[in-house]
Amino acid sequence: MSSKARVLIVDDEERFRITLNKLLAVKGLDVHNVGSGKAALEELGQRSYDIILLDVKMPEMNGIEALAEIKKIDPQVEVIILTGHASVDVAVEIMRLGGYEYLLKPCPIEELLEKVDAAFERKMDREKRMSKAAATRTGPAS
Amino acid sequence: MDTFKVLIVDDEPDFLETIVKRLKRRKIDVTGVESGIRALELLEQEHFDVVILDVRMPGMDGIETLKEMKKKRPLMEVIILTGHASVESGMQGMQFGAFDYVMKPAEFDELIEKVRQAFERKSIHEAKIKETKIKETRIVT
Amino acid sequence: MPEQSEVFTLISQRYVISLLIVAAAVPAWFTGGPLFVAGLLLIAWAAFLSTRHLVRQILRTNEQKCSLDQQLIQSQKLAAIGELSSGIAHEINNPLAIIGQEVEWVRHILKEEKVEDPQQMSELKESLFEIARQVDRCREITHKLLDFARKQEPLIQSVDVNRLVEDMARLVEREAISKNIKIVRSYNKDLPFVLTDSPLLRQVVLNLLNNATYAVGKDGEVTIETQMGENGCVNVLVADTGCGIPKEDLNKIFDPFFTTKPPGKGTGLGLSICHGIISRLGGRISVVSEVGKGSAFTIHLPGGERKGEA
Repeated sequence: MSSKARVLIVDDEERFRITLNKLLAVKGLDVHNVGSGKAALEELGQRSYDIILLDVKMPEMNGIEALAEIKKIDPQVEVIILTGHASVDVAVEIMRLGGYEYLLKPCPIEELLEKVDAAFERKMDREKRMSKAAATRTGPAS
Repeated sequence: MDTFKVLIVDDEPDFLETIVKRLKRRKIDVTGVESGIRALELLEQEHFDVVILDVRMPGMDGIETLKEMKKKRPLMEVIILTGHASVESGMQGMQFGAFDYVMKPAEFDELIEKVRQAFERKSIHEAKIKETKIKETRIVT
Repeated sequence: MPEQSEVFTLISQRYVISLLIVAAAVPAWFTGGPLFVAGLLLIAWAAFLSTRHLVRQILRTNEQKCSLDQQLIQSQKLAAIGELSSGIAHEINNPLAIIGQEVEWVRHILKEEKVEDPQQMSELKESLFEIARQVDRCREITHKLLDFARKQEPLIQSVDVNRLVEDMARLVEREAISKNIKIVRSYNKDLPFVLTDSPLLRQVVLNLLNNATYAVGKDGEVTIETQMGENGCVNVLVADTGCGIPKEDLNKIFDPFFTTKPPGKGTGLGLSICHGIISRLGGRISVVSEVGKGSAFTIHLPGGERKGEA
């Protein structure tokens, strides 16, 4: 199902995001990657994505700030936060801002794919429900 | 204890000879060796209070020598005296336990003063450990 | 460990003397009286006894010296282990994540792709290279962490802060000149000696000077001042005409691992170590900064009489 998912990787560690891009691409996902929160927002202006894999610790704009901005541009995109350390207040903030989940680095690729699948499924279900609701509202006559 | 033993490690034979002579003239018990390896060998057999060490020497790297010295004899104070001074090696040296980092050419009197301060530090350190040991035995008994 | 050369010299000296005395005693037996010879032999025997006593003393002193070293090594190790865990978990996860991914990629290539294909072969080589690089990075981090964790108990001596600061200024000046950075000094001539730990203070001053020149980059000024502060404090100020620190970062700069340098370049342990050291010396570090103008760090040290730990 996630073979149609469009994924954007946002991480300032170049090698990390390049290899992750390759790993996800061979699994059939439509993947791109950028190196900063700012670049992610620009990319979202050009193309739409289903899933964003977002690093927390980045210079200039950190992951939490980026999450808030991303949700402003596209509230439907599912954001999975990747973090090198777990802290309760960061987790709470992520949920409050509408993040889907957070994963601890290093994360085995199977686990990451499962989360991406699950997030994509949730998005597809939600979009189906929304279009159904929109259809019912406008009525059979249209 | 006002007498202390100094070891100088420097691969420049002229410099080594001169400084050993001048220190001896000031009645300081000093031994000079030309390499880090020689110095470490000597340390197996003898105790020194203060070492004056050059960090840019062929063979065993000066910083490696410093690390080994601090591993074997953590109480012994090391003063780095080098013609190849750099901020990086200064930070490295002090991070790995050097007491001071001095650029060549150094004022001889200043160097003596630093050696004296290094020795003072060693004495204070030894006294502290002894005191801790006494406290511990008191608690146990 | 006995100082063999010392012991050998002492023993040989004493025995030579004793032998000479005995050698003198033999002809004395024939020429002088037996009492004379007995006296000489007594002297030889006394020499032998005192040598044995001296040798024992030397061996005991050397034993003590060794055991003090051993005690110190042991307590350092215990302190390091305690503080290591949380720091490592935090910083090493990035390199580990990369290593994990490279391994996945290698597995993928070996399973799904034609390994003979030169393109795939170069991917494999690249992955291995990257793994090695990240392992190196981890090694650097753990080594720096071990230094950070090692609680260096301050050893208090009377320190000439002006001298200490000038020594470090001269060291930094060498490289600063090549970048056209001027080091400006202003020392208070009446500054009292401070009771503090000189190698620790040296590290902090050098760190601040190094940060200052890095912030300037090139073509600028770094100012170093010593001042009398309030309540008999002694202050050391390091100011630069560099890029400055943004307001939102100001309260984070003393956090371990906070850094504005790109990943892999400097792990930002400098300022947090400085902060820890100065706290242990009973002082504090303060900073003022303005983006585009520069920064000024001040070390405040308690001056005057201080109950040393020694």
